[in-house]
Amino acid sequence: MAFALMGPEASFFRVLDQHRVSLIQSLKEGPGEAPRKEASSSEVLVSIENIIQDIVTSLARNEAPFLTLDNRSNWENIKFEDSVGLQMIPHCSTKKIKSDSAQSAQRFALILKILSMIYKLVQSNTYATKRDIYYTDIQLFGNQSVVDNIINDISCMLKVPRRYLHILSTSKGLIAGNLSYIEEDGTKVNCTCSTAVAVPSNIQGIRNLATDAKFLLIVEKDATFQRLLDDNFCNKLSPCIIITAMSFEAHNLTVPTIRWLGLLPSDIERLNIPKDTLIPLTKRDQMKLDSILKRPYVTCQPFWKKEMEIMAELKMKAEIQALTFISSDYLSRVYLPNKLQFGGWI
Amino acid sequence: MYIPGKCTGKVDEKPPTLMADCLVIKQFLHRTSIVHPKVRFHFGGEVNGILFKETFGVEKEPVVKLLNGIGLLTSQHHYMRPGFLGAQQVCSRIHPVLGHPVLLSIPDEEANMGLLGQLTLTPAAALCPCHKLHPDQTSRISAAFVFLYGPSGLPLIFPNQEHPLTVFKDNSYLFDWKKYHLRAAPNSNISLEDDLVLPDVSYWIESHERSWPQDSDQQILLLFLMVDFQGGFPAQLTEAWGLQSLLLTHLNSILLENQSLVQGAVQTAVDQALEQHHRRVKAQQKLQASIPVAVSSILSVVAGSTRSSFRALCLQTLQAVDTQEFRRRLHEAFQMTLHQRSMCDPKKQQLPEPSSSAEEREEGDESLDEALAGSCCPGEAPRPKRSCQGEGVGRKAQAASWLPLLSLGEAPQRSIGTGPTCSQARGWGGPETRGEDTLWLQEVSNLSEWLRAGPGSRPVP
Repeated sequence: MAFALMGPEASFFRVLDQHRVSLIQSLKEGPGEAPRKEASSSEVLVSIENIIQDIVTSLARNEAPFLTLDNRSNWENIKFEDSVGLQMIPHCSTKKIKSDSAQSAQRFALILKILSMIYKLVQSNTYATKRDIYYTDIQLFGNQSVVDNIINDISCMLKVPRRYLHILSTSKGLIAGNLSYIEEDGTKVNCTCSTAVAVPSNIQGIRNLATDAKFLLIVEKDATFQRLLDDNFCNKLSPCIIITAMSFEAHNLTVPTIRWLGLLPSDIERLNIPKDTLIPLTKRDQMKLDSILKRPYVTCQPFWKKEMEIMAELKMKAEIQALTFISSDYLSRVYLPNKLQFGGWI
Repeated sequence: MYIPGKCTGKVDEKPPTLMADCLVIKQFLHRTSIVHPKVRFHFGGEVNGILFKETFGVEKEPVVKLLNGIGLLTSQHHYMRPGFLGAQQVCSRIHPVLGHPVLLSIPDEEANMGLLGQLTLTPAAALCPCHKLHPDQTSRISAAFVFLYGPSGLPLIFPNQEHPLTVFKDNSYLFDWKKYHLRAAPNSNISLEDDLVLPDVSYWIESHERSWPQDSDQQILLLFLMVDFQGGFPAQLTEAWGLQSLLLTHLNSILLENQSLVQGAVQTAVDQALEQHHRRVKAQQKLQASIPVAVSSILSVVAGSTRSSFRALCLQTLQAVDTQEFRRRLHEAFQMTLHQRSMCDPKKQQLPEPSSSAEEREEGDESLDEALAGSCCPGEAPRPKRSCQGEGVGRKAQAASWLPLLSLGEAPQRSIGTGPTCSQARGWGGPETRGEDTLWLQEVSNLSEWLRAGPGSRPVP
């Protein structure tokens, strides 16, 4: 496959290449945790049947059945692995979802409902989005976030990624850059075009993935993504891929880890970002900041801690758009190239 | 404080009339005693040589202070028989919620008739029995009892008396039952009971939303309406009863004039009293709503599985021959687990001491304090102390001897005493009365036993 010869000199990517080597090395030397097993459809079906069987057995004994879920809301149960990112610790604390308690009976029933729907999807090898699940009975589910949470709980409970439950994300993500692949129906996709490509909902069917990209840039906002496209960023810093955050999900990543480029709190002072472009932290922001600083895994990340402490002291935050006040193309022309060339990530 | 007082009299009545009159007096005294916990009433008499005696007002009974020195005895046994209507291991007390007093406007016509002053009405509401020990137990309100008290905490209406308060014939005068999906109908089938206080107004209550499970416990809504009147001048005791009568004569018009105020005050108190009941109902609804969803989900997986061993095992575990029976057994099994939870040992329930807007005060009873600490009124409150010793066989024997006397048509001679209103009894424990005590102790059948032979039982829905 030929790509247009564009982009900076090879030496531009020296720091990135070193970073890549160190990541691969850390993967090899890692704690030795076995990579997540790829579950087959029949294994998913059997897992669901086992849960049902346990419930029926409890009922036969006149015992109120319950479900045991990993407690995802307790940060003590979360660790950060360089090679993976955030993940549940082994033998984490769990919570019981009881069928005979007014507080949890509804959730118990909804989990079973979605389990039965997943069972049918996997059995028939069909797919549905999270939104589809919600719309099967909006009165029962109440709102989308209830469905999303339960799907995540089931994913943890069965210890398989969501895609193995045949439930797709409904996000409308965009991707552009040094990437080509063939979709399930045989369509050939080349993301090097000047316009972005929509990320397919069902990535299971993708094959012949090909790329020479030195890095994958995840862009939080669609507007900023569009700005980078307009500034021809993918070609200027080729070979690379840019993708919107909407299409980004941690457990579906095929790259070992993420680094945060910016806008960092330390950038605000360093770049002399105009004060009138800054936004005061809300009470919610403050509480979130305090909460993150207390999370166990943050204590092992001194750079993150430092940045959050700067933010707490400043009591201000800045959107990426604040860079446009320096110049309209500052982001793609100066900021990102410098960050990438000199390793300005944490 | 101990203030002695005594009323005596003789009556000349036929036995049925005497019986009825005694019941009425008993009710009046009982009704008065529950709001005057410091006062003890001894009611006794001699009929054809047979003595009877009953005491109202017991030491060491839990009390809630309502207002202006008026308290309310909160032991459930005054209002409902223990074990009545399926209540199991319930809290032995009621927890009245005191509403805000409302100033009633007095129409000119009533003012011209001598009712000059400030008239206030204060409601208090409670559910009986209290179900806080079993928050998951289904319950429904089956009746509402209204107790009216006038100034000085005396029952406004004499028990079993025809009264002019026709406002209460309108079911919706006091309370918007629809708010709680209930409907009310007046209940006139009230008979004088021996040891329960008789309401002035009673309603049958039923829910018009859904039929309740067979094992639902039933509760009664108790509503106490305290009417107070301040005329601006100190009233003599002899005037108190006159004021009571004047009030009763005109109260209907006043209540009609102030319906929205009265309803508002009552609604607020009842809302609070029913709050937990309402929450319990909602919790039950959540539990019940979850069962069909769980059942159909389980059935969907079992019926849709291609693994015959899995299907067979599930059916076999619940002893079902087919998926239809499996569905039924699943449903029954879930219901059974809910039922078992609601019947679980209340000691395992960790419930805070129930709060009440009224100040709780117990009459110097340390033992009762200890029993109540940290839990919702475990166990039974002390039963009313029978004044006559010699309960049991002796008393029953006297009852047997009493009845034949009645059947012979003998008419005990009695004239009604015309002395001052006596709300206080003479000191029965004093040295000058010990001789009389001995006399009382000779009696073998108290009035309750004798009267129990008469008609009447609590209204049963």
